[in-house]
Amino acid sequence: MTESALFTTAFAFYVLSTVVYFGALFARRVTWGGKGLLLACAGFVFHTAALVVRTAASGHAPFTNMYESVSFFAWATVLAFAAVDRKFRLPHIGPYAMLIVVALVALASSPLMPKEMAPLVPALQSYWLWLHVSVTLIGEAFFALAFVASILYLAADTEEKKEKYDSVSYRAVAVGFPLFTLGGLVFGMIWAFRAWGRYWSWDPKEVWSLITWFIFALYLHTRIVMSWKGKRSAVIAIIGFLAALFTYFGVNYLLSSLHSYR
Amino acid sequence: MRSVWKSFASVRLAIFLIILLALASVVGTLIPQGRSAEEYAARYGDLAGLFAKLQLTRLYRSSWFLMLLFLLAVNLTVCTVSRLGPRLRRAFGSVSARDASSVAAMRVKGKLRLAGPPGSAAAAVSRELAARRYAVRTADIEDGTVLLARKRRLGWFGSDAVHIGLLVILAGGIVSGLAGRRSHLPLLEGQTVDVPHAGFRIRLDRFETEYYPQGGVKAWKSTVSVLENGVPVRTEVVVVNRPLVHRGFHFYQSSYGWDWQSPSLEIVVGKRGDPSSARSVSLRTGERVAFDGPGITHLGVRRFVPDFVLGEGNRVQSRSGEPRNPAALVEAWQGDEHVFAGWIFAKFPDFGEGHGDSRSALTFVLKDFQASQTSVLEAAKDPGAGLIWLGCLFISAGLFLAFYWAPREIRAVVEPGPGSGTEAVFGGFAAKGRDAFRTEFEDICTSLRRAP
Ligand code: HEM
Repeated sequence: MTESALFTTAFAFYVLSTVVYFGALFARRVTWGGKGLLLACAGFVFHTAALVVRTAASGHAPFTNMYESVSFFAWATVLAFAAVDRKFRLPHIGPYAMLIVVALVALASSPLMPKEMAPLVPALQSYWLWLHVSVTLIGEAFFALAFVASILYLAADTEEKKEKYDSVSYRAVAVGFPLFTLGGLVFGMIWAFRAWGRYWSWDPKEVWSLITWFIFALYLHTRIVMSWKGKRSAVIAIIGFLAALFTYFGVNYLLSSLHSYR
Repeated sequence: MRSVWKSFASVRLAIFLIILLALASVVGTLIPQGRSAEEYAARYGDLAGLFAKLQLTRLYRSSWFLMLLFLLAVNLTVCTVSRLGPRLRRAFGSVSARDASSVAAMRVKGKLRLAGPPGSAAAAVSRELAARRYAVRTADIEDGTVLLARKRRLGWFGSDAVHIGLLVILAGGIVSGLAGRRSHLPLLEGQTVDVPHAGFRIRLDRFETEYYPQGGVKAWKSTVSVLENGVPVRTEVVVVNRPLVHRGFHFYQSSYGWDWQSPSLEIVVGKRGDPSSARSVSLRTGERVAFDGPGITHLGVRRFVPDFVLGEGNRVQSRSGEPRNPAALVEAWQGDEHVFAGWIFAKFPDFGEGHGDSRSALTFVLKDFQASQTSVLEAAKDPGAGLIWLGCLFISAGLFLAFYWAPREIRAVVEPGPGSGTEAVFGGFAAKGRDAFRTEFEDICTSLRRAP
């Protein structure tokens, strides 16, 4: 199968998974939830194959333009959510997480994002491309999960549910924050030092990563030291993920940046 | 004094400072940084003056932003120092009779009847906990024993490691800012230059650009030699992402350009309306060559610009160093008489023809131009970088400890129970991962209960 056929198949499975998940929710068929996860995993397999085929064909990491990196981000989000879904088995996380995945895959498939494979420009020829981008995006995928859990927290009607969503949100941040720190800030600084000779340039992309990092630092501190939980934590996690999204899309399209490789 | 210390130890101040830093950072990405005063004036009009006064145009180096970072550093230091003592005691301190009274207040609890006298029962408990990698300390109380068992004790210091790492990074930033040196070195092949502040020289031996078959640059490769006292001591190929390092100086492939001072040009001269008369002339800027044509004896090029634009007062300038709109100022003489001067454009040959001298009816076309390429290397010495990597190491290790190496603690009081036999009261604590800890705690109780 070609990359685009694999990618489209993955997309189809994701859509199916989302439909089944929502079906489970609205028809109150708990057993469908398992099928939703199964479909998502099937999509994940095809998606992985698409990324592998593209990597083999282009000879470089599959995140050098917006199409590739959005696709990878969607992939990482499925990964993050499948890891958490197995652990918590909360009926609402699946449908909404998959909704985000479908939105991302749709965005990647849209004509907004050219799919041509371009050979690597000199600045990107480094194994730090792999480390920096993949670890950062996986970290952000966990922020996406915290975002979903936080929204569900705000929408939940019982204390019991709220408590669970709060805990999912915290656990997602507990994974996402170290990964984001390592991939986005530490690996980013190391690579910048190797490529440009300065580890920090106050470039808008760097600054927005720092802002995102500050927001999640606030999430942790208000929680651990001031015992904020629940609503206020949820709001901070939501703002944090929006900042991560802005770092990811907004900076590329709205601000001028050294990181403009789209 | 105490209250100042207290307020700097507070996390509320930390939260306040982090919010301010985040907001300031946002502002710094909305206002482009480090541009010229004219650009700000054009962009923001009257506000530009205010922005300059508030240092918003060099925000990340402004005194108030640095002040915020300084306050954060003080906050971090005081906060870490004031919490370190109690934490060290909690992780490594000895056990005392007082620990016996705290058992009842612990979250996870258990009570067991154990066989044998308190002494041997306490030993059994110790063995069981040690087998599960707890470090066990004991102290005698009236007629029994109190145990303090701890594991993953480094986990207490996860957040401290993160905070110390941050301080080290801030220190690294100061060192970089004060002692960092960097300079741009545009070099022609064969050219040797002094590296500022370095005390040695470098020479560009060769510069080549590799292209992909489908177009697009694959690599810029500069072969660079380092000369100490005029003697080459090392030669390396510098490419993007692979700098040359010599005595603390890093040399990066930063960009490339052309030497537009004296490019060699090819100009085609012909009679108007007679294409077969066209002849090409090769010359450099500033050069004057003999040319036998109708009404002229010599040709010259006074000036060349790669990216022609008319600036203020219609002065000719080059907008950039890229050959986007190359133009040459051609002159012609008849004997000593200057008969013609006009700009011709490589991209707009017809426009140049219009400039042709009407008397002699000649046309000039800028057919080709060749300039030597320069490789722009960036030389940087950054003595702060080592601290940055050290700080990153602390932060990474600290995050791991803080989130995935949560300390666990079990206290137990082993005393003679009512009637015969021994009673043990357990209390457990885990900073995180309470479910996993509860499981372990129950396992421990179960295996002790089963023990003979
Ligand atoms: C941007 C700056 C900062 C970052 C990234 C940061 C990071 C962290 C992290 C990752 C943790 C561990 C959280 C957890 O275990 O869930 C933590 C805990 C903590 N931080 Fe910070 N911190 C920062 C600034 C500060 C400052 C300025 C203070 C000073 C008051 C502070 C005080 C604390 C305290 C008291 C804890 C809880 C320690 C504990 O109970 O283990 N932090 N911080």
